[in-house]
Amino acid sequence: MDSLFITKTAWRGVWRNRRRTLITLSSVAFGLLLSVTFTGSADYAYTNMIDTSATMGMGHVSVTALGYNRSPSFAKVLTGCGRIMAAARELGVRAARVRISGQAVFGAGGRSNDGQVIGVDPARETPEFNVFIRKIIKGRMFTPAETRGVLVGEVMARRLKLAPGRKLVYTLTDRHGEMVSGVARVSGIFRTGVIEADNGVVLLPIARLREILGYHQDEASMVAIFIADQRRSGPVRDRLVSILGDGEREILTWHETQADLAALIAMDRAGNYLMQFLIWLLVAAGIMNTMQMSVMERRRQFGVMQALGMGPGRIFHLIMTEALWIALCGLVAGALLTAPPYLYLRNVGLDLAAVIGTDYSAAGVLVDPLLKVRLFPERAVFIVVFLFILVLASALYPALAAARTRPLVAMRHR
Amino acid sequence: MSEEVMVRLDEVSRVYRQGTNEVRAVDRVSFSLGAGDFTAICGPSGSGKTTVLNLIGCLDRPDEGRVFIEGRDVSSLSSGELARLRRDRIGFVFQSYNLIPVLTAAENAAFVLELQGRGREEVRRRVAEVLAEVGLADLGHRRPEDLSGGQQQRVAIARALAPEPAIILADEPTANVDSATADGLLDLMERLNRDRGTTFLFSTHDERVMKRARRLIRLRDGALEADTTAS
Repeated sequence: MDSLFITKTAWRGVWRNRRRTLITLSSVAFGLLLSVTFTGSADYAYTNMIDTSATMGMGHVSVTALGYNRSPSFAKVLTGCGRIMAAARELGVRAARVRISGQAVFGAGGRSNDGQVIGVDPARETPEFNVFIRKIIKGRMFTPAETRGVLVGEVMARRLKLAPGRKLVYTLTDRHGEMVSGVARVSGIFRTGVIEADNGVVLLPIARLREILGYHQDEASMVAIFIADQRRSGPVRDRLVSILGDGEREILTWHETQADLAALIAMDRAGNYLMQFLIWLLVAAGIMNTMQMSVMERRRQFGVMQALGMGPGRIFHLIMTEALWIALCGLVAGALLTAPPYLYLRNVGLDLAAVIGTDYSAAGVLVDPLLKVRLFPERAVFIVVFLFILVLASALYPALAAARTRPLVAMRHR
Repeated sequence: MSEEVMVRLDEVSRVYRQGTNEVRAVDRVSFSLGAGDFTAICGPSGSGKTTVLNLIGCLDRPDEGRVFIEGRDVSSLSSGELARLRRDRIGFVFQSYNLIPVLTAAENAAFVLELQGRGREEVRRRVAEVLAEVGLADLGHRRPEDLSGGQQQRVAIARALAPEPAIILADEPTANVDSATADGLLDLMERLNRDRGTTFLFSTHDERVMKRARRLIRLRDGALEADTTAS
C-alpha cells in the first residue's frame, strides 16, 4: 500500500473526532510546557548556584596541592603556578586566578573571630570572578598599592566592630607550622547573604600573605579556573591533567570541591525528573485511553478493512501513523504554547524575592530569587525525543488490539 | 453456468458449539459456481446464507468439507494467504455499505487497489473507470456522509469491482435502500454481469433479487433445500 495513502488515512483518522484530538494534543502540549519549564528553571538555578559557588573561592576547576581539598592548610603548597596559568590560557578558559587560602583567627577591639582568609591579587581580581568584591556594601576593594588592605564580611565586621579604616589583626600558621600574624586596615565590607561567608571570610593581598607565610612568588594554595559552561568542568580537568600531569597536585572539578552543592543538585534534579516522569505517566495513560477508545469505536471498520484484504501489519501501521501525527502535532502545539513563557522567563524572569527573600542559601551558596530558565540544547532534544517516543509507546497496545481484530466478530459491531 | 468453475463447496459444514449445544449453521452443503454466474442464496433467517457467504469469502473456515476458489483449496491456507486471496480474487458488497468514512468515494473505490500496491496512475485510471461504470463519475470527491444510501452502495460496488475479482459476494445489498434504489442497484449489477462477465453471488431474502437471479440456491436450517436455474 502506498505510504502516502496510509499517511493520509491516518491524518484524517486523527481528526475524525476533533474535540477529542484537541484534548489529547493539549495534554501533550502542556506536558512539553511543564517539562521545558521545570528542566529549564532547574538548569538555570543549578548553573547560577555553581557559578556563584565558583566565585566564592575555588572556581569551576581547581588546581591545588595534594590533599588540600580534604584538609586545607597553609602547609600544603602548590608550586609552579605560572605554568598552571599558562596551561589554563592554552585551554582558552574564561579566567584563572592564583589564590592562597586557609584558616585564621581575626581580632579587633578585644574581640576575636575565626574564619578563612583568601589571598587575592587586587590587580587581577574582578567582581565577575569574585563574589566578595561583587557584594561590597561599604568602602571598596583594596588597591595593589594598599598592601595592608583587607575586605571583611558584614557579620564579622559587626561582631568585631569594624568599619572602613579600622584595624584588623590576623593570626595564622605558616607553611612550617609556626604561628605568624599581621595587621591590616579595613578597606571595604561585603554582604553575600550567606552567613557562613559574611562571618567567616576575609580577603587579603596575596603578596602580603606570601610574605607572612614564607611562600615564593610562584607558590600559592590553588589556581582557581573559571569556564563559560560549568558542564565542561570534567573535560577541562582532563585536558589540564594531560598537559600538567597529576604528579604533586590535584586537579578537581566543582563536583569535588563543592561536594555538598553537587549532592544537593543531584538530589534536586532526581526529584525534578521523578515529578516529570509522573506527569508524563499520566499524559501517556490519557493518550493510551484516548487511542483505545478510538480503536474500539472503529472495530467494525477494521473488520471491514481486514475482510477486504488489509493485513494486521498494515492496520498496526495505520494506528501507529495516527500516533505519529498526534506526537508531531502535539509537539508543534507544545512549542507554540511554550515559546512565549519560555522567552519571558529566559529574558526577564519571575521575581520570587517576596516568597523566598533575598538571602536564601543552600549548601552555602546564595540562591538567586529571580526565577529564570535556561534550557541547554541537548536537554531540549532529549525532551522532544522522549515525548515523541512516549506518545508512540502509548499507542502500541491500541494498535495491537486493532491489528488483532477478527473480521467476522468485528463486523457484527455497530 | 460457464465451464470455468470459480467456486466449489464440497460437503461443507460449519458448526458452532456453545457449551454442550451444537448448532450446525451450514450442514453438508455442496455446489459450484461458474464464471459469469448471477446466483442468489436465499432462505429464512438462520438458514445459513451469510455463513455460506463468509465461508466462500474466506472470512471463516469450515469445520467439515472443503472450499475451492478457482480450483484452490482454501482450507490449507494461512491467515495471511487468505487475506491476500480476499484482496485479489474476492469482492465484497455489504448490507451496510461499510465504506471508510474518512475517505472520499474515489478513495474508497481505490482501497483494494492500494492494498494491492498498484501504481498511482493505474489506480487513478481504474477508479475513474469503475466510478463511471456505477454512475458516480462526478461524485468521486464526496465523502460517504455526503452520499445517499444508494450512492454509497454504488461506491461499495465500485470498490468490489475495481480489482477485477473472480467473484463478488453481496450480502443483502438491497436491504438498506428503498425500492427504486434497489432496482437501480440490481440493474447495475446485472449489467456488470452481462457486459463484463463478473460473477455475482447474493445472500438475500429480497424477492426482487431472487427474481433477477438466474440461479437460486435455497437453504433451510443450514442444509441445501433446492438448487434451481431460472428458465
